[in-house]
Amino acid sequence: MTTKTRYFVIVSLLVLSVGMGTGLVAYYVGFPAGAQGRRGGPDELGYVPRDASVIAFANVHDIMTSELRQKLRRALPMQENGQQELQNQTGINIETDIDTVVACLSPDAASPNIPGAGMVIARGRFDEVKIESLMREHGAHVEDHNGKRVVVADTKDVADVVHGQPGSFAVSFIEPGLAAIGSTKLIKSAIDLHKAGNNPQAGLESVTGNDELMSLVRSLDNGSANAWAVGRFDALRTQSHLPANVLSQIPAITWFAVSGHVNGGFSGTLRAEARDDESANNLRDVVRGFLALAKLGSGAKPELQAMMQSLEVSGSGKTVSLSFSVPAEVFDVIGAVVNKGKPAAH
Amino acid sequence: MSDAVRSTAATPGVLPSAVRIFDLSLGQMLWSRRSVFLGVLLGGPVLMAIALRIVDTLHASGFKVNGAAIGGSAIFGMMVWLLFIRFIVPVLGVFYGTSLIADEVDDKTITYLFTRPIPRRSVLLGKYLAYLACTVLLVLPSVMLVFFLLVPIGGGRIGEAFPSLLTDLGMLAVGLASYGAVFALVGTMLKRPLVVGLVFAFGWEPAVLLFPGYLKRLTVAYYMQALVTHEMPQDSAVSVLLQVFHEVPSVTTSLLCLAGIIVLTLWLAGRAVERREYVLEQ
Repeated sequence: MTTKTRYFVIVSLLVLSVGMGTGLVAYYVGFPAGAQGRRGGPDELGYVPRDASVIAFANVHDIMTSELRQKLRRALPMQENGQQELQNQTGINIETDIDTVVACLSPDAASPNIPGAGMVIARGRFDEVKIESLMREHGAHVEDHNGKRVVVADTKDVADVVHGQPGSFAVSFIEPGLAAIGSTKLIKSAIDLHKAGNNPQAGLESVTGNDELMSLVRSLDNGSANAWAVGRFDALRTQSHLPANVLSQIPAITWFAVSGHVNGGFSGTLRAEARDDESANNLRDVVRGFLALAKLGSGAKPELQAMMQSLEVSGSGKTVSLSFSVPAEVFDVIGAVVNKGKPAAH
Repeated sequence: MSDAVRSTAATPGVLPSAVRIFDLSLGQMLWSRRSVFLGVLLGGPVLMAIALRIVDTLHASGFKVNGAAIGGSAIFGMMVWLLFIRFIVPVLGVFYGTSLIADEVDDKTITYLFTRPIPRRSVLLGKYLAYLACTVLLVLPSVMLVFFLLVPIGGGRIGEAFPSLLTDLGMLAVGLASYGAVFALVGTMLKRPLVVGLVFAFGWEPAVLLFPGYLKRLTVAYYMQALVTHEMPQDSAVSVLLQVFHEVPSVTTSLLCLAGIIVLTLWLAGRAVERREYVLEQ
């Protein structure tokens, strides 16, 4: 064998060995989130557990500074005491301090809440000391989990009392400017995911490993929507504890996806995936029927015509899609209707 | 001791002789003009994967087919199906397999090998092993690079897809061995082996697979199908027909049949080399 041939064989075997080694490491250890390039959706999804039945995202900063929001504030001057109170108590100003929010619901047999346990991961600017001291004043205690401080508050809301179980609510700052608020179990799982990354072999995996859900997220998270939500409708239905005769009337939908863009107006798409083609056809027919009825009813109101014309049902196979666009004028009409009933300001 | 007995005792066995021929042929095969073709053939998918990765990085929305996002694993599976299994492996088998003996005949150098005190079939076996080493050492790294370039697209996970890569690598090695053995037989028995090989790989095999019945069992592709872990892409009417008549043997049956094909065709090729009188044209 000549030297040239020997070098070729060595290089070739080296490529194979490095590839095999990397693959084996990835298979047994798993790579931390983000090490494998773009996976779609915001980075915070890396802290959401794999079995989440619903995940939602909102670009709060975009929405708060949108023309629509300003228009709504003028048309419908709301009492903002709640917002002010939140700022006094936690130092968080929703208008300026929160940039984005990712929320999730995860089925939890132990949770007294019907949809399961929930968690909100907010990215923004937070006064960590103020939030923690406020919660401690209200009886919360601080735990250490995997090197992170978790402020845990035991709650007793109506649902808890009904089920006879105390709930557990926690807040933790996973990284600077990233707060996780919600069920203690989910917060601890988010900390573990932040610390160790995805490791399916160890039973620790984020929703980014759920291909079905992530393909829906990728289809929504295309930069044009500043708020979206996707979820397993069948999981929510199973957990709803509704009577069988009511459940049988609910359309056979497996997945749903909603995305919207808020700026001057509000436009969006509502997509549902039915169990089979027949269910999807039935659902399309029902939606078309409702749309026809609504268009008929809006005939006398020209200001609603544009919105009604934008409603469009589409989809093929198991997918049913409804797109809509609500122009800013509609909100002017709503504002005028609401303000008509109020006494004129002197 | 008679001269005949002494001559037999001095003749090395088939395997040691095949190893010597392998050593000689590997370098010849790697640095021949055919290797340029091989490089282009295997560099193509790698370049394609690099291009796809760049496009994916530049376009945040990822790849979509009919509005649905498509992951890197699916793209990799499609490339393994369409490029490697259905094109590259049969092409390499045809071009290299048919030329194992035919090239020596065309170059009129077969005499030098046959006049050596080694069994004639060891020439074929050594050259076949060199073909196998040459193609495996080029095809598998190419597939490996394509895998690592494509799978992370759209959030694909290398760890999850890795077992299917191992299956793919094993299947491609078995495919190269099977096609190589079949075309080595064609090369030793027929006068125009390349034409016959191309007709077999791209005429007979795809055509017979479309029809129901037993004829498809006379192809290598039929047994290869069972080893493919990826879904067959619905890229054409032919694929749809293939799905309709999707009759795939079990993995064990396929592996046994492919092993049988390799052993039988190599044995027949060795027998043909031993018995055939090669007349070199002047």
